Amino acid sequence: MNKRILIAFLFAALPTFAGADSQWVLKQSTLTYHVSHPLHQTEGVSHAARGKGVCHTGQCEFLIAVPVKSFDSGDSNRDLHTLQVTRGAEFPIVTVRTRLPESTAASATFNADLEIQFAGQTAQYKQVPFKLETQGGETHITGTIPSTLADFKIDPPSLLTMPVKNEIPVRVDMTWQPQ
Amino acid sequence: MGRVIDAYGNGVTNATVTATDVDNGQMRSATTGTDGSYKFDGLPAGNYRLKFEAAGFKMLEIPATTVRGTETAVLDEKLEAGEPVNAKPTSAQQDNLPNAPSSSIRAPSLSDLGLSPEQTQGNAREQALLDKRTHMLKIHQRMGLITMGPLIATVIASMDAGGKSTSTASRDLHTALGGVTGDLYFITAYYAIRAPRVPGTETRGPIRFHKAMAWIHGPGMIMTPILGIMAFDEKSKGEKVHGIASAHGPVAIVTAGAFGAALLSVSLKF
Repeated sequence: MNKRILIAFLFAALPTFAGADSQWVLKQSTLTYHVSHPLHQTEGVSHAARGKGVCHTGQCEFLIAVPVKSFDSGDSNRDLHTLQVTRGAEFPIVTVRTRLPESTAASATFNADLEIQFAGQTAQYKQVPFKLETQGGETHITGTIPSTLADFKIDPPSLLTMPVKNEIPVRVDMTWQPQ
Repeated sequence: MGRVIDAYGNGVTNATVTATDVDNGQMRSATTGTDGSYKFDGLPAGNYRLKFEAAGFKMLEIPATTVRGTETAVLDEKLEAGEPVNAKPTSAQQDNLPNAPSSSIRAPSLSDLGLSPEQTQGNAREQALLDKRTHMLKIHQRMGLITMGPLIATVIASMDAGGKSTSTASRDLHTALGGVTGDLYFITAYYAIRAPRVPGTETRGPIRFHKAMAWIHGPGMIMTPILGIMAFDEKSKGEKVHGIASAHGPVAIVTAGAFGAALLSVSLKF
């Protein structure tokens, strides 16, 4: 009898020990890049990011992808120049990959190492701080990625012979949902 | 022809291999078989960019491969599409990242996000179009700035070119500056008009105002010299500028104002 109970317990506990898979899906997002020029400041916004996280044995792999074309700065001419200078037709998708412990979902803040592929280049950012808020089963994440044009070997575009600043911080505002 | 293998030397099944002709942007795709091998039949000679994509693996890109001959193309590239293989190898950096992406879990791929190959694959032809457009509009922008110089000088010179007490020399100077302005203006306009259009792009933002101003300064730049020649002739005959020729000054001012406004609209944020 005890043997049967023990076997039943082991079978019941197996998924726990094996670390059952779970997934996260990006429900909505706002990604905003900021460009500084001596004459004015510009922001480009995209709500078109897609993302997924796959968790296994306490670790989650996340992939977020956003079409370069989806960023809107409010000026079609500027957006086309941005697309050109970032080689957005050749490399139409920006991808962000990161790995996080599953327990991160319980934190109010966390740091993530990001690998970003953009404009045909790969850049890695260490320990980027993010804020996290969980409400009603959804997890809201905000933060800023300290990206620069040089990270992706992009020549700073210029207007009236004055180039934009190298820094192009990207504000991230995402809502994730477990699947 | 080639083979896609993972970090352990096993063939990667169903990997998509895309060859993009660098010169004309034409793309061909092949899918690897169970042993990871792929083959392009009838691939024309040329320079190709190769892209390797497979679920669970990072994309690998070979920027340039030359295919010679017109027979079945043989691309003798043995490529690994497995663990952090990347167009820009960063394994040394990655070692320093405590929670960097890893392949120990089956990482999500672009296809998992519902992105089709059409959305994720690059288009060299579109990039070439954008490059040409930007190149021409850069010249347009510079020429526009340069044109502002003689344009302002022409307006200033007009102070002495009109009225009763003007000399022939001041009228000649005004005419010469106007001629230079006109030439530079039409070179500027040429680069804007001939810059390739990008299909499916809706004009939004300050560029709309910039383009609208062209409908004022464009005809103005044609009318101003015609009226100027008429005014010049009347003046040279010792007559007072009269009739339609008297519109030369006002038309020129409106034209110069529209040109300046067009330049400012793309330079400053209002």
